[in-house]
Amino acid sequence: MKRSTFFRFSAPSIFLMTVLMVIPLIMAIWLGMQFITFNNINDPEFVGLKNYVDVLSDGRFWQAARFTTIYTAIVVPLRMVLGLAVALMLDQVSKAVRGVYLSFFLLPFIIVPVVGTLMFKQLFDSSGLVTWVYQTIFDTRLRYNETTVKTLIMLHGVWYVTPFALVTYFAGLQTLPSDLLEAASIDGANWWQKVRGIVLPHLRSLTIFILLVSIMDSYRIFDSIFVLTNNLNPIFKADTLMTYNFATAIQFQRLGKGNAMAVLTVIGIMIVLIPNLIQSYREQMEER
Amino acid sequence: MEKTKNPIAKVAIHLFLIVFTIYSVLPFYWTTMQSFKTFKDANSRTPKFIFTPTWENYQELWLNRVPENGYTILFFILMAVVILICLALFAEFLPWPNWVTYLTVAFGFVAILWGIPEVVETAEFYDYFVNTIIVTVGTVVVSITIGCLAGYSLARYSGYAAVVILIAALGFRALPRLTFILPYYQIGNALNLLDTRFLVILTLVAVNQPFTIWMLRSFFMDIPKDLEESAMVDGANRLTAFRKVIIPIMWPGIISTALFSLLLAYNEFLLVRILTQTNWTLPVAISRYTGGEDPRHLTLAAAAAVSATIPIVIVILFFQKNLVKGLAAGAVKG
Repeated sequence: MKRSTFFRFSAPSIFLMTVLMVIPLIMAIWLGMQFITFNNINDPEFVGLKNYVDVLSDGRFWQAARFTTIYTAIVVPLRMVLGLAVALMLDQVSKAVRGVYLSFFLLPFIIVPVVGTLMFKQLFDSSGLVTWVYQTIFDTRLRYNETTVKTLIMLHGVWYVTPFALVTYFAGLQTLPSDLLEAASIDGANWWQKVRGIVLPHLRSLTIFILLVSIMDSYRIFDSIFVLTNNLNPIFKADTLMTYNFATAIQFQRLGKGNAMAVLTVIGIMIVLIPNLIQSYREQMEER
Repeated sequence: MEKTKNPIAKVAIHLFLIVFTIYSVLPFYWTTMQSFKTFKDANSRTPKFIFTPTWENYQELWLNRVPENGYTILFFILMAVVILICLALFAEFLPWPNWVTYLTVAFGFVAILWGIPEVVETAEFYDYFVNTIIVTVGTVVVSITIGCLAGYSLARYSGYAAVVILIAALGFRALPRLTFILPYYQIGNALNLLDTRFLVILTLVAVNQPFTIWMLRSFFMDIPKDLEESAMVDGANRLTAFRKVIIPIMWPGIISTALFSLLLAYNEFLLVRILTQTNWTLPVAISRYTGGEDPRHLTLAAAAAVSATIPIVIVILFFQKNLVKGLAAGAVKG
């Protein structure tokens, strides 16, 4: 394909991404240097780096950063191990049954995140099923405090993204090198030896892919926490970077500071993102 | 991998899978039960597993006033929907071209959505529902149209510019949404576009575009180049070759990508929450039921949650294979 044809075909898409992604990113850096609220939205006041300093010296921002990190560190490995385990089990059952199981497993993934959170909340409500089971077993009331709320958030985090890891791993299992597996069977390798020796190495690149996507997704977790704790975050200390950013910009109406915070979170994700981008760049250059 | 022959292992595997099924479905099951309970049953401390189901919550959610001949109206609406779905399914066997049937069916659905408020007094939730459909369909159509053109050219052009665009798109896809949405708010405010569907659709298309072009590109890469090249030797230009030769065999890939666009648009909360004040979509409308202390919100929220889930479940039931294939394609190649 000629260069001119390429640009003619991709023009609408490139134009849209430039206007609505590149320009906003530059705008965000600029807006982060202004003092803006909803009152002076058309007539902002330039304050230089004050907003950035403000964010970096804000205790609640660092608390949010800490909880986001903890959330990611706990939820991501759980998701992946559970996803792989279920994928391996699913691989063992017959094709007809698989489809049925898969339909159920996909449910948490396709449900609107806000709705999924709400359903989770119903289970743990004062009249919810889990609350009742908990109270019958332990004979104490299930109280909402920092620990229970954070546990609830993480449980939901595992619940709704595991299907993604599961289906991805399952797809990977369908492309296993069958000659290697047969050779291993002839040598008398048992199931676990085959998993360790053949399956896990085969899934390596897939694991890195799921890991990166999961880290980036948990880094920007917003919907579920916003719905679960709403305005009670100062009590439960369950703010994440995104919910605190939202609160700053929209609820406290400090748009300038909110933009500054958004820019700083971008710098944060770069640690994970840049090695990934370099890797993809190399792959694409080789491929062409 | 080959399957185990050990009967105990087999039972253990099924047991494990069944437990995981329960874990996946339990919140959905419980919420559905709650949505059919009266307010008193739903709030009882010991859960009621046996109760008289009631439509009250759904009626309160969807209707301002319950019509006297409600069941007759419901019957006619369902009949119309079933007929339209059957028409779409049997389009192949009808004497006229397929697109005529699909267009008729689409118009039929629009007519039904438009007609319902004329017959019964619908509540706000219905408006949010219609709004969600408009926003979702708009986003999918625009995303896929411009995404197909870009994805195709990215798959066929091997110059340096294509690599740069792909990598930039990958980077943008990973960035936190607020970095874009807060400037969108500013732009929308300056252009007086806040609270319009136009702005919501346009920005949703933009934030989903990186994902869309990567996925469509991976599907286009699977199609051999010879196909359009032979068409172009016969005198067709590239755009005609693309439309007449490539698109017809790309349908499965397009449907997979469209499903993901649909989920992304239907699920979006943050963007819609910030850019609109009244033209809400369902996720924002539903989030209203979670904050308040009013215990009556419990059953209404349950009914709203189930109502928002059913359309998506129906769509996925039809296209589950495409969804799984899309996930696999994105994973293996992206």
